Amino acid sequence: MKHYEVEILDAKTREKLCFLDKVEPQATIAEIKNLFTKTQGKSLKDEDVLQKLPVGTTATLYFRDLGAQISWVTVFLTEYAGPLFIYLLFYFRVPFIYGHKYDFTSSRHTVVHLACTCHSLHYVKRLLETLFVHRFSHGTMPLRNIFKNCTYYWGFAAWMAYYINHPLYTPPTYGAQQVKLALAIFVICQLGNFSIHMALRDLRPAGSKTRKIPYPTKNPFTWLFLLVSCPNYTYEVGSWIGFAIMTQCLPVALFSLVGFTQMTIWAKGKHRSYLKEFRDYPPLRMPIIPFLL
Amino acid sequence: MAAAAATAATKGNGAGGGRVGAGEAAGTRKKKGPGPLATAYLVIYNVVMTAGWLVIAVGLVRAYLAKGSYHSLYYSIEKPLKFFQTGALLEILHCAIGIVPSSVVLTSFQVMSRVFLIWAVTHSVKEVQSEDSVLLFVIAWTITEIIRYSFYTFSLLNHLPYLIKWARYTLFIVLYPMGVSGELLTIYAALPFVRQAGLYSISLPNKYNFSFDYHAFLILVMISYIPIFPQLYFHMIHQRRKILSHTEEHKKFE
Repeated sequence: MKHYEVEILDAKTREKLCFLDKVEPQATIAEIKNLFTKTQGKSLKDEDVLQKLPVGTTATLYFRDLGAQISWVTVFLTEYAGPLFIYLLFYFRVPFIYGHKYDFTSSRHTVVHLACTCHSLHYVKRLLETLFVHRFSHGTMPLRNIFKNCTYYWGFAAWMAYYINHPLYTPPTYGAQQVKLALAIFVICQLGNFSIHMALRDLRPAGSKTRKIPYPTKNPFTWLFLLVSCPNYTYEVGSWIGFAIMTQCLPVALFSLVGFTQMTIWAKGKHRSYLKEFRDYPPLRMPIIPFLL
Repeated sequence: MAAAAATAATKGNGAGGGRVGAGEAAGTRKKKGPGPLATAYLVIYNVVMTAGWLVIAVGLVRAYLAKGSYHSLYYSIEKPLKFFQTGALLEILHCAIGIVPSSVVLTSFQVMSRVFLIWAVTHSVKEVQSEDSVLLFVIAWTITEIIRYSFYTFSLLNHLPYLIKWARYTLFIVLYPMGVSGELLTIYAALPFVRQAGLYSISLPNKYNFSFDYHAFLILVMISYIPIFPQLYFHMIHQRRKILSHTEEHKKFE
């Protein structure tokens, strides 16, 4: 059977876009379009084998400069170490933040000490997960991101910490009851979030970049996988809602809202790529909020 | 064809150039454009806005002639100014539903900054309403918007007179700095009154553990003009070079 060579040019610029050299004579235009978009669209993976690409015997690879890059691990460590440190500056009432008569004094409210513990442990958890738990698909991200991300995390940490540790801080309206409930929510969600991170890690062998559908394990916290694609985000939002109720601090609520918005965008994207990649993806699952979102 | 266009540029919008963007500059790209119903709606919208800002322009002139001075003309056009500038919020919706090929974020930013100046500064701080700086930005905005909305109207009808295109991409050179000056001077004039009245400010202690100092916020807004204004201004200059020279070349080939 004689094969055709098909050359696709841009109609306006006449520039050569693609050269397919082993096209079957029976191939329909739709199939050719498909071959074409496969060779143009998404970027190739490191693991792709040349022979398996639909490019015939002459392969044209398009190079795209992604710009200065930085490793995910570096970004995560920096953006999480900041809040940990910054919050403590406010907690210990380091000079020049509040009036001089308050320098190095301590709040008389129990909930303020509790909040510091929760906030600090939360970021320690994140740092440890970055070092020992997470397995990243991409090694790097654009350098610009570290400035953007650090501004977000460090800025919000400072803003929240300022009010919680303020000498004029007002403890929650419903007192110890409110704090206890909020603490329970926070702890449960932190355990949940950690469980999901471990489950995701176990999906993927060390050093690999394979992707599989996550399923519930024996750990009850992972049963949320039955209902959502990204329960780690669900638990994270829950943790911050807990923290907001615990501190009854509007900036914390705003931080939770912004975080929720961003995580919803990520969850929807992840959900969509799961659906695209896996035919048998469980239909009951929503991206981030069971049944709703 | 520049469909009901693009955005970018102009924070606070002192500019004659108003919004410029990819939709027009990339003349070689075929844009799908809004459907016939959307186009009809947009034409009506842009015609109404052009008319509205003309009303404001005429109102200013008449008030000036009647009073014999250019002081305190704000009061004569306060209502249509508020109505038509606030009406521009619809443009955010247009981008969101896709009938206008501009960025929602950019459009929101531009419209909100205008609305902020009208309501959160000029309306809220009565003492600045008699300031001359108000007239400065009102004139800049009025001329800018008349040109911008007629530009969009003609573009949608596929019949854009070169004069309008020229005006849009040239007058901003003067109008933009003029508008920005008016805006900054007005905000500056408002500061002492905001501080005195504690306007829109909350202080500690309160049960939501939150505080907001509107006076400090306004100062931050003024500072933000420093990085933003040059960027937008030079973007417009760049656009001007691209678009006006492009037209020149086309004319040569005719």
